[in-house]
Amino acid sequence: MEQIRITSNPYELDFNGIRAKARRIRVTALRMTTRSKLGHVGTDLSEIDILSSLYFSILRYQRGDIDHPDRDYFILSKGHGAGGYYATLCEAGFFPRAYLDTYMEFDSHLPGHPTRAKTPGVEFSTGALGHGLSVAAGIALACKRNGRSNQVFVLTGDGELQEGSNWEAAMAISAFGLTNLYWIIDRNSLQLGGGTESIMPIDPLEDKLRAFGFTVSHMDGNNPAQIVEALSKARQAGDNRPQALIAHTVKGSGVSFMENICAWHHKIPSAEECALAMGELDSDMTVGGSE
Amino acid sequence: MSEPMDLRDMVIEVLMEAKRDGLPVMVMLSDSASTSKIAPFAARYPESVVNVGIAEQNMVGMAAGIALTGSIAVTANAAPFLLHRSYEQVKLDVCYNNTNVKMLSINAGFAYGQLGNTHHAVDDIATIRSCDHVQIFAPADAPEAREVMRHALRHVGPVYIRMDNIKVELIHEDSYRFTPGAIDIVRQGKDVLICSLGTLLPAAVQAGKALAAQGMDPTVANFSSIRPLDRNALRMLLDSHSHVVVVEEHSMHGGLTALIYEVVVSERLDAMVASCALPEGRPTLAGTRGDLRAHYGLDATGVVRKVMEMLS
Repeated sequence: MEQIRITSNPYELDFNGIRAKARRIRVTALRMTTRSKLGHVGTDLSEIDILSSLYFSILRYQRGDIDHPDRDYFILSKGHGAGGYYATLCEAGFFPRAYLDTYMEFDSHLPGHPTRAKTPGVEFSTGALGHGLSVAAGIALACKRNGRSNQVFVLTGDGELQEGSNWEAAMAISAFGLTNLYWIIDRNSLQLGGGTESIMPIDPLEDKLRAFGFTVSHMDGNNPAQIVEALSKARQAGDNRPQALIAHTVKGSGVSFMENICAWHHKIPSAEECALAMGELDSDMTVGGSE
Repeated sequence: MSEPMDLRDMVIEVLMEAKRDGLPVMVMLSDSASTSKIAPFAARYPESVVNVGIAEQNMVGMAAGIALTGSIAVTANAAPFLLHRSYEQVKLDVCYNNTNVKMLSINAGFAYGQLGNTHHAVDDIATIRSCDHVQIFAPADAPEAREVMRHALRHVGPVYIRMDNIKVELIHEDSYRFTPGAIDIVRQGKDVLICSLGTLLPAAVQAGKALAAQGMDPTVANFSSIRPLDRNALRMLLDSHSHVVVVEEHSMHGGLTALIYEVVVSERLDAMVASCALPEGRPTLAGTRGDLRAHYGLDATGVVRKVMEMLS
């Protein structure tokens, strides 16, 4: 059977729709982490609005044919954001909700970091930092040279940019004119051991990206309206410089007592903390179980 | 006997042949156009060559990305800067992700002998053997390099090929057919077994002749296929010879010697094994490849000496 060409996102939700999805995804990620007693929940909450905007509005893909050759690619370079990623993929229909109950368990479909051999929808296994940008560059270059219209979205952390390999990739993306690649930086300004600027400064990030040849835009990375607008604008830019988008985010976003607290990088919520978070997210879902 | 040939020329010919056959090959360079002798390919297929500059990590990472789209990514750069500079990319982006990347590790061993230890690649087999999924080959001469490359491009998955930069005496006929996993028996004997890695094969053959002249009946085996490897064939080969000597331009650790020790121990064989591999604690020694090989006994004289030591 001939494949139909993909021209759009299968959901095309508006901002309110994305916001509602993001809330459900937060609930799922929190419950997965509470249940498994493992994960990087602060990171999950930081990135979820970006992932929701991508999967429910921006990315062109086909449900039921996830390896479609026309699809847009998404690479999660900050692989420790696996909980938020899995919750998003599940919400978008890539795998059954029952998988969620096995997060981090022995030989699970959902290991602690994204593993393409295990999880439908995961394009590339990540976990060690500083890999995704080069891989995304390779995909973008191959698509460009082969006259394919796929677009490549890659999400890196900000602390991750301390890895030198990112800057090798940045040089190449610019030199090869990979305008089909969109580099989103989850700029929550926190990393494992503290603030990025106190450990090894990333700033002036915009100047660095510009110097490497990127067109740089900023957005509130926890606001789907701004995310979708910035990405749509970047897509229509039509200039010959590749696009870097600095998504200003809050680590732990959506749960007041986790926001901007470094410890929540990988602290595990107690059952009480999870219930408190559910209250804030206006969810009556209880801890445990997939429904 | 045909003239000695550079393995790289043959490999580039196979890449051109693959393009003509319609294989979606993309070659990745890290300022290694001259190292790889890619010029004829680049002239004919400029859109299929990607030079990332002196950035090996990015070369390997991008190769994995290119492979994800269905192309066959072939990296071609100097051995000392492939595995160790970009080990994590090789381990994760290529091997763990099981992407269709072929790594040409050019000028391995003491190819850059006079340039000093930073440029010696005598630990590559140890490094790549620690990675999953990847097939590992070390062709001995140009006809074998051609066959190995043809196989590599048709095998789906990571491949590592240890390559040389010198014109190597041809041991194989043009009609030679390579079988992945097989041990290539160049001379069948029955008492002493000489196990050779890569382009040391002519030295092993010469040593075999010298030993035969002294009344022995040596077997000369070419281990061009390190992974896959027919372990049963290796066990039988080791079991049918009283004395074994290994010759490899590689560290004692993790290379062919170590591989043979593993089989001897795990199969509880009685074979007496000696090795001309590079010992631990090497001095900071630079010199021509010939001088370095002679110094470490990686030549016919060294192999014969090692056999005599074993027999005395």
